[in-house]
Amino acid sequence: MALINLAAREINYKIVYYGCGLCGKTTNIQYIYRRVNPGARGRLVSIATEEERTLYFDFLPLSLGTVKGLRTRFHLYTVPGQSFYNASRKLVLQGVDGVVFIADSQISRLDENVDSYLNLWDNLIQQGEDISNLGMVLQMNKRDLSSIFSVADLTELLNHTGSPVIEACAISGIGVFETLKTVCKQVIAKSSRP
Amino acid sequence: MAGRKGLVINDEQMQMIDSILNKLQRVTASKFVALVSTSGQPITTAPPHTDADTLSLAALAAGSFAATRQLAEVLKEREFSLLFHEGRESNLHVMQVTEQILLLITFGHDTQVGRVRLYTGRAVEVLKPVFEGAENTTGEERIIDRDYSREAGAAIDSWFPGEGDSQA
Repeated sequence: MALINLAAREINYKIVYYGCGLCGKTTNIQYIYRRVNPGARGRLVSIATEEERTLYFDFLPLSLGTVKGLRTRFHLYTVPGQSFYNASRKLVLQGVDGVVFIADSQISRLDENVDSYLNLWDNLIQQGEDISNLGMVLQMNKRDLSSIFSVADLTELLNHTGSPVIEACAISGIGVFETLKTVCKQVIAKSSRP
Repeated sequence: MAGRKGLVINDEQMQMIDSILNKLQRVTASKFVALVSTSGQPITTAPPHTDADTLSLAALAAGSFAATRQLAEVLKEREFSLLFHEGRESNLHVMQVTEQILLLITFGHDTQVGRVRLYTGRAVEVLKPVFEGAENTTGEERIIDRDYSREAGAAIDSWFPGEGDSQA
């Protein structure tokens, strides 16, 4: 669950963008950073290689403002997508409240998508997550390209939880905010008590 | 790997924590002291208002500490329980308080490292039971109720006014 500081009237949620290498995780975060009101965002921190591939994570804090007297923040992280960085992915997943799984819609990326999806669930299960408490959204990215899977096919392959599905073209911003809004609402709904 | 436990800090616990941090900052003559979660979220600092970007600091320190723990595992060392960065003008010392909490302290070269380590170690011993209490806190998290959920949902809907998803 989220970190709640009653004394400071503050609540922080952690959202992780997951997916295979070059699927568009960092592109999502960079678009959000560019377009969100500067007063609502913190610094975009990227730990990347010289070739601008994510080495450890990207981090972007976003403030929702004060809700029912509680200052509410979402901390967005990406993981490194390349398969050999699994140790880093496990570390970034610690304490996660919501996951955006980004699928690269191209038919040529089938194996990478499936490997990354299985790796996500392996890592969540290994760290003892109560998966029913997690927010989860599937973003199908690169819908503007040719030779892509249908939404139905990708849903069958990468969405065994029946999570919300959003079609996107992150490089031009299509679906980026919708994805963010959906996962944020999910994590709040999951953390609320009747 | 840390499991998924809740952490709810109430007023009484925070007063104790702030008092310990203020004392630590005073006796070590450090620039500032911060507590952050191992998942990268800031909790509090002493002094309360600092020029440092505490959000980025918390995320980076937690990531750095997590990587250090993995290094220990690779080297078959039981644990590296602290992390030290030495700079030209200031140093950063990171120490684990509990499974979920890290203590960060920054200080200049006018403060001795040994003094910082001594007092930080003592502070950790006092902080530990307070946070173990916070990890077991139940009930207060009910503040995240349906009303909060509804109001937050409306705030999220109006988060990006005038922004269309298709705009480049």
